[in-house]
Amino acid sequence: MADAKPHNPIVINAQKCVRCDLCDWICPGDLIHHEEGNKDKLPVVAYPDECWYCGLCQSVCPTSAITIVFPERMIHNRTDVATLLGKVVE
Amino acid sequence: MDQNWTTLDTDLLVVGGGVAGSMAAIPALEAGLKVVICEKGRVLDHCGSIGCGVDHYLTVMDTGPEWDTPEFLIKHVPELTDGIVDMAVAGRVIREMPRIFRKIESLGVDFRDRKTGDYYRLRSFGLPGTYHINFDGTDFKKHLGERVRKGRATVLMRTMVVQLLTEDNRAYGAIAFNFRSGEWYVIRARSVVLAAGDVNRISRNASGLAFDSWHIPYNTGDAQAMGYTAGAALANMESVEATLTPKGFSCQGLNALVSLGAYFVNRAGERFMFKYDSKGENARRAVIADGVINEYLLGNGPIYLDCRHLPQELLDRMEHTLQVDRYTLPAFYQQKGVNFREELVEISVSELSIRRSGVYFRGSGLAVDVNGETAVEALFAAGDCATVSGGISGAAVLGHIAGEGAVQRVRSTTGALPDPDRQALEAVRARSVAHLGRQDGMPWKEFEDATRQTVTDYVGVRRTEKGLQLALETLRALAKREPTLRADDLHGLMRVHESRNIRQNAEIMAVASLARRETRTGSAHRRLDYPQTDDKNWRKFVLVERGPEGPVVRTLSTERPLSDAFARRAATA
Repeated sequence: MADAKPHNPIVINAQKCVRCDLCDWICPGDLIHHEEGNKDKLPVVAYPDECWYCGLCQSVCPTSAITIVFPERMIHNRTDVATLLGKVVE
Repeated sequence: MDQNWTTLDTDLLVVGGGVAGSMAAIPALEAGLKVVICEKGRVLDHCGSIGCGVDHYLTVMDTGPEWDTPEFLIKHVPELTDGIVDMAVAGRVIREMPRIFRKIESLGVDFRDRKTGDYYRLRSFGLPGTYHINFDGTDFKKHLGERVRKGRATVLMRTMVVQLLTEDNRAYGAIAFNFRSGEWYVIRARSVVLAAGDVNRISRNASGLAFDSWHIPYNTGDAQAMGYTAGAALANMESVEATLTPKGFSCQGLNALVSLGAYFVNRAGERFMFKYDSKGENARRAVIADGVINEYLLGNGPIYLDCRHLPQELLDRMEHTLQVDRYTLPAFYQQKGVNFREELVEISVSELSIRRSGVYFRGSGLAVDVNGETAVEALFAAGDCATVSGGISGAAVLGHIAGEGAVQRVRSTTGALPDPDRQALEAVRARSVAHLGRQDGMPWKEFEDATRQTVTDYVGVRRTEKGLQLALETLRALAKREPTLRADDLHGLMRVHESRNIRQNAEIMAVASLARRETRTGSAHRRLDYPQTDDKNWRKFVLVERGPEGPVVRTLSTERPLSDAFARRAATA
C-alpha cells in the first residue's frame, strides 16, 4: 500500500540545479516534470512512489544536483521472504 | 478524420524502442522504408528491460572450436529449456547470432576488454560454453539508438499504444496517445513489430513498493495484452521468473557476481547450491532462484551472498561492473552500510515477472514463427514479449529477424491499407478518456495492488488447482471493475492502461498454469498438486488465445513449431 505521504527518492539541490530539462527527458517512468526551457522553475518529482530507483536522472545531471535516497523499508527491510512465496490452498 | 486525431501512414510501426524494437527498425530503415516507433520513455539510448547499459552479451561467434558453433549450442537447447522450446525459431535465432553480433559491432559497439583487447568470454547460467562476453556495455544501446535516429525514423516519445488495428486477421496499425500532450494518433502501417518487453508489477516483493522491481516496472505486458486482444496466440505464459536480489532492493547485479565466483550460504553458513544442481552456482538462473526459494521454504533463511573468498582483482572487477546493470546499486550498499567485499549480503527472492523464466531460448509471450511473425499476419513480436527470448542478445537477434520479416511483408503487400472505422476509433478513445477524473472510481494503484496480492498468494511459486481457481475468480471480478478505474491526469491514464494490461497477463498466466498439470523448471511452474515433471504427457506447449468468454487454452506437442497452431497457416494452406 502507498504511504500517506510518499517518500521522495529524487532529491534535487535547488542551489546546484540549472533547470536544464535533462532529468525530465531521461526518466523512463515519466516521473520528473519540468517545463521545457523554464529557467525559473525547479523540476518537480510528480510521482515519487512510481520511482524505479534507476538513478538515470542522477547520472545525467550536469551539475550533480540529484541524490537518490532509498527509503527505510528498502535499506533496512524486515519482510519475511517466505510470505512472498504464496499461500498453500489444498 | 477529425481534426483532433493525428493520422500517420507508415510502412513499419514498432511498439517499444528497446533493443528488440531498435534492432527491428534498423533493417527496415536500411531497406528505405518509413518507420514509426512509439515509446513510453523519451530516449532510445537505454535498454528497455533494465534501463541502463549491459554488462554481458550471449553469443556464439563461430571462431573455430566446436562449442562455438551454432549447431553445438542448438543441440543443447532442449536440455536448457527442459524440453519446452520452439526449436525452429530458437534454431534460427542461434544460427543468426554470429551475423547479428558482427552487425552490432559494425554499429560501433566495442565488445572487447579494454585491457587485453580481446573478448572476455565467461561460462554462466548453465550454458555449455563460454558464450557470455563480459564487457563494459554502458553505451551499447546508444549505438543502436543512434543508427535509428540517423535512419530518420519517426519516434513518438511518451506515447503509449493502446490498441492494434486489424482486419481479417491482419494487422494494419494501431491507436496511441501521448500522455504528456494528450494527442491521439491513428497510425496505419503495412507491418507492426511489438517489442514492448516483459510483464512486471505483477507480484509483491520484499520492499512492498510496486515500482521497485528487478526489470523495468514500466514494462507491463502491453504487447502481450494487445496481441492477445487482436487474436494472436501466446505460449509459455505459465512460466514465471524470479531472481535473487539484495534484500530490500529488487535490482539486477547478483548474477554477474555469481558468474565471477561469489556463492550463496544459508543461515547455518552452509553453501547449499550443490544440493540443487551439480553445477552449483553455475546452474541456470531458474535453478539458482529455485534453490534459494527452497531454502527459504525449508526455514533455512536468511540467505546470504558471499564474496569474501574472492581475490582482490575480481572484487575490483565486480565493483567496477556493479553499476553497469543498475547505476544506483553502489549507493544502495553505501546507504545500507554494507561492504560486499568484507561482509555477507542478505538476499531475497524478487517479485515474479513473466519473461523467460530464467531460461534462454524459451520466452513467455506472443508465439512467433521463424520470421518473428505472430498468428496475426503482419504482426511481429521480438524481445521479452515473444516466445523465443534470451536477454539482450535474444532481443537483438529476434528483433533483427522480425525487422527483416516485416520488410518482406511490406514488400509483398499491395493495395491501400484499410480505413479504420471512425466510430470504433472514437469508442476506443472515449472508453479511455472516461477514466480521467472519474471521482468515484477505483484508483489504479488499489486495483494493481489487488492483482499483485492475488498473483503472489495463488499464482506464484506454489500453485494448486484450488488456488488458481480462486485467483481467476478474483482476477475476473477485478476485470469487471476496469471501466471504473480512475486516472487523475494523462500520466495516470497511461498507468490505468498498464494496470489493465497487467491484470490481463495475470489472468492468462493463471489460465495457462491451471492447464499444465505437472511441475516444470522448478519454481517457474510448480504445481503442488502435480509435483512431478511429466514428460510423457506434458512435452507440450500451452497456448492461450482469446475466446468469446475469455482466455482459451490449447496444447501443441513441442515436436512441432508453435506456428503450426496459427490460424493464418490453416487459412492459407
